[in-house]
Amino acid sequence: MTATAERATVPGPPSGLSARARRRSELTGRDVTVSAVLAVAAFVPAAALVWLTYEMAKQAYPAIVFNGWRFFTTKTFTLGNLYGGTPIVHHGYQAAHGAQYGVLPFLFGTVVSSAIAVVVAVPLSVGGALFLADRVPARLQGALGTFLEVLAGIPSVVFGLWGVFTFGPLMSRTGFKWLAALHIPWLSGSPGAGQGLLTASLVLAVMIIPIIASTTRELFRSVPPLTKEGAVALGLTPSETARHVTIPFVRTGILAATILGLGRALGETIAVLIISGNALNIYPHSIFDPFSTMAAGIAAILDGALTDSTGMALHALGEVGLVLLLVTLLANLGGRFLTRRFSVGGLPVGRGI
Amino acid sequence: MRRLVLLAAVGAVALAACGSSSPTSSSTSTTSASSNTSNSVTPNIGNPTAAVTINESGSSLLYPFLQELVTPLHTQYSNITLAPAPGGSGKGISDAIAGTVQLGGSDAYLSPGQLTQNPGLMNVPIVVSAQAVNYNVPGVSNLKLTGDILAKIYSGKIVSWSDPAIAAVNSGTRLPSTKIVPVRRVDSSGDTFIFTSFLSATNTTWQNGPGFGTTVTWPAVPGELTANGNPGMVQTCKATPGCVAYVGVSAESSAQSVGLGEAMLQNKAGGFVQPTADTITAAATAGSANVPDNLAQPLIYEDGAQSYPIVNFEYIVVKSTQSSADLAKAIRTFLSFAIDPSGGSSQSYLSKEDFVALPSTVVPKVKVAIAKITP
Amino acid sequence: MRRRRRFLDLTFWGLALLAFVCIALPSLSIVGSVIHQAVPVLGWSLFTQRTNALGIENAILGSLLLLVGVLVVAGTIGVAGGVYLAEFAPARLQRFLRFFSDVLAGMPSIVVGYIGYVTLVVAFHWGFSLLAAVVALSVLVLPYIVKTTEVSFRQVPTTLREAAAGLGLPRSKTVWRILLPPAASGVISGLIVALAISTGELAPLLFTAGFSDQNPTLQLLHHQVPYLTSVTFTDLALPGARAHATAAAAAAVSLAIVVILIAAGRLMTVRARRATRGMAL
Repeated sequence: MTATAERATVPGPPSGLSARARRRSELTGRDVTVSAVLAVAAFVPAAALVWLTYEMAKQAYPAIVFNGWRFFTTKTFTLGNLYGGTPIVHHGYQAAHGAQYGVLPFLFGTVVSSAIAVVVAVPLSVGGALFLADRVPARLQGALGTFLEVLAGIPSVVFGLWGVFTFGPLMSRTGFKWLAALHIPWLSGSPGAGQGLLTASLVLAVMIIPIIASTTRELFRSVPPLTKEGAVALGLTPSETARHVTIPFVRTGILAATILGLGRALGETIAVLIISGNALNIYPHSIFDPFSTMAAGIAAILDGALTDSTGMALHALGEVGLVLLLVTLLANLGGRFLTRRFSVGGLPVGRGI
Repeated sequence: MRRLVLLAAVGAVALAACGSSSPTSSSTSTTSASSNTSNSVTPNIGNPTAAVTINESGSSLLYPFLQELVTPLHTQYSNITLAPAPGGSGKGISDAIAGTVQLGGSDAYLSPGQLTQNPGLMNVPIVVSAQAVNYNVPGVSNLKLTGDILAKIYSGKIVSWSDPAIAAVNSGTRLPSTKIVPVRRVDSSGDTFIFTSFLSATNTTWQNGPGFGTTVTWPAVPGELTANGNPGMVQTCKATPGCVAYVGVSAESSAQSVGLGEAMLQNKAGGFVQPTADTITAAATAGSANVPDNLAQPLIYEDGAQSYPIVNFEYIVVKSTQSSADLAKAIRTFLSFAIDPSGGSSQSYLSKEDFVALPSTVVPKVKVAIAKITP
Repeated sequence: MRRRRRFLDLTFWGLALLAFVCIALPSLSIVGSVIHQAVPVLGWSLFTQRTNALGIENAILGSLLLLVGVLVVAGTIGVAGGVYLAEFAPARLQRFLRFFSDVLAGMPSIVVGYIGYVTLVVAFHWGFSLLAAVVALSVLVLPYIVKTTEVSFRQVPTTLREAAAGLGLPRSKTVWRILLPPAASGVISGLIVALAISTGELAPLLFTAGFSDQNPTLQLLHHQVPYLTSVTFTDLALPGARAHATAAAAAAVSLAIVVILIAAGRLMTVRARRATRGMAL
């Protein structure tokens, strides 16, 4: 019944505004106008991205020139003395007396907290997704899948609220105390009220689990049943099938999802701002100590940045933001590049024909 | 009819404010101050012709006081609505510079750099406030501290409450050997400014090191905690036994109601005092002998047996050029209202926050500044 | 040997179950603790008083106003862009634009907040304002709208396009009359995802929207906008159970908005699947 015409000029997405289409007068004048208007809209994300990157670089430039490579070797980030002393001048740019702009404390915090978050989140996500995909009967899929959707929708500030009033105090009374009792170097110390590197990293893990788990679950469901049946036919137990067939089959997809989750953790601002204890310039001596990240640091300092009359504080924050931007973009690019190979978009909508 | 009453009220206020019998303002729009530096500068104030909202942000120390003034101000001048917000003095100054609010509240006066970068930006003091040092040491009350000891605590050199230096000024009090947990502000804060000013005045290592400012490079002290705003300081200190925190006096009632102690600080004369109306006034009077015309004057560690050592002017940071005549008038009116002893600076409003009114020597200069606010 | 494998099997699935529980528990704990903490202040006055009188009416209205703004700005631009990508763009241009859109999706929200502050609020002199906030939020959610719109349109079978062309319909008319109805549910679900993300944002709004004790006005510039996540953020740092309860209440309301949006989005996705399934010829 289908008249799948073999005409070369099938209208629709693949050919778009091809020369052939235009020659065949498939596009009226009105079409061209409409298409032009829509094209403007389509260019907005690109324009926005270019503008954001340009502005960021422009804001950061004076600090880049002023700081040079010291930005990556100085261990403190301080606005200096805004009330006295002569401003220091480097390469033509002024900064407050005693100001030292180093990204290391923030970079350290960002990298360590994100690393812990990913290390914790991946096994939980993969395990949970596998359980959901392979062991949960179809009629419960929707219901149990709700946990993931709820987690995905919770605002960061609510994670912060939960971390400060519920999770942090609970963990400091139980898990952290047991961990500290083991007296492993860097993993011991006083858990305090539960606000510090470990708490923040664990909350970050909970935040990125939905990203990794949802994608992984879709991946597992997309494994051809025939492949899995083949393994069963060979006598593998369900867990062996999972370990030797299912997971390796989607290995790269899991990696891609992990990188996407990492991107989220790197850029997370509010939850860290609330739970981290905001210790600028203090490298955590133990996993329970307060710390700061690039994103949280910018959020904490930006409010009062204009009090620096030399303007360098604002530029230095811009430089921190630029580093954050580049790091996050690299992570996301890597993830999306790998994801596209497996045609699993970030959102679980159905596939087209 | 209401307008007549308003005119009369305004006239009365203006008369009271200027004290001499020079022709006072009516609510016409003639320009205000004479360039006379004597007592007779009277800014042109009154109800503006259209409804104006004055946005303020900044000092969490000043914020409760401004909240108190919203209703009486609006009652007296129906076209003026004050909309204050907290956020820290650094935010207040930044927002005033950027123009996102009309007024910035700040416990810190403007720095020379800020004044140079922003000609026309003024800091106008409206009240005098102070800062207490609270502590949470179970079983200890009547604690005495000095600026030198505090500087060492916040540098990590004194780590325990039973340290000999603390015991030396607290003979007769049993001090537990609890670890000291210093709490500091994380936001760009005027309270940090005045606290570090006090530390700089009493400890040369601190003065040459972190110095003073709305943000400083705090020495890394293991276990140090951070908090946002004065209420946050109270909250954190209450939750942490062994803590010491600097808290503005407007949050003192809440600090004491949750059981924090208020330390007696050693002043320049050597005595130990707590922030009361008398001790704060003593410091303010001593420090106001020679206030510069730009009104940037610290009141830290002043002379006087009665003087409390951490006292400051509460500043409103405002641009002298405003976008409209109505807005300029509204701001002049608010500021005049705030410093008026029968208006904002009446005892009922001040005592709730433990503030005191501006010393009389300062008021004329403040009025000169207010009069500079024009469209 | 078999016993060992069975034991391993059981252990493996036990761990997987444990992992799932570790995902489900925080989910329950967060929702439960927020509601539990909010209980003391839940009541009519919460929704009729403003933040200067222990309520959150202004914050709720502000959040809703921001959502409307995002719908208007990001919604129109995003849907238009998605339609262009799906129906009009040549292949190479598609890849180019999609790349930029994907990269934008990974932008940290604090960077958008910083740029919004430095350019819109300060340099352009907009001040903390509705327009600055809406622009910042729109930049963040635009990629999602574009992507879901594009995917929704692609899901519509090509046979419809062929039939329309066969009947002589110009492409723009095809899109509007023939393709949009079946794609609508998917497009709407994308818009809903964008709104859900906007409800939960805080970092960009901190530096573009400001906050206000008054109910929001429709003024685009110079008037600060209150919103729910700010109430949670500020109040959780204040002393006193009352403030914490208010923080939790604001959190609960924003969660409720997100849950409603997600449920609606799910409904739309199901309808989208149904709408196009019947069309497979």
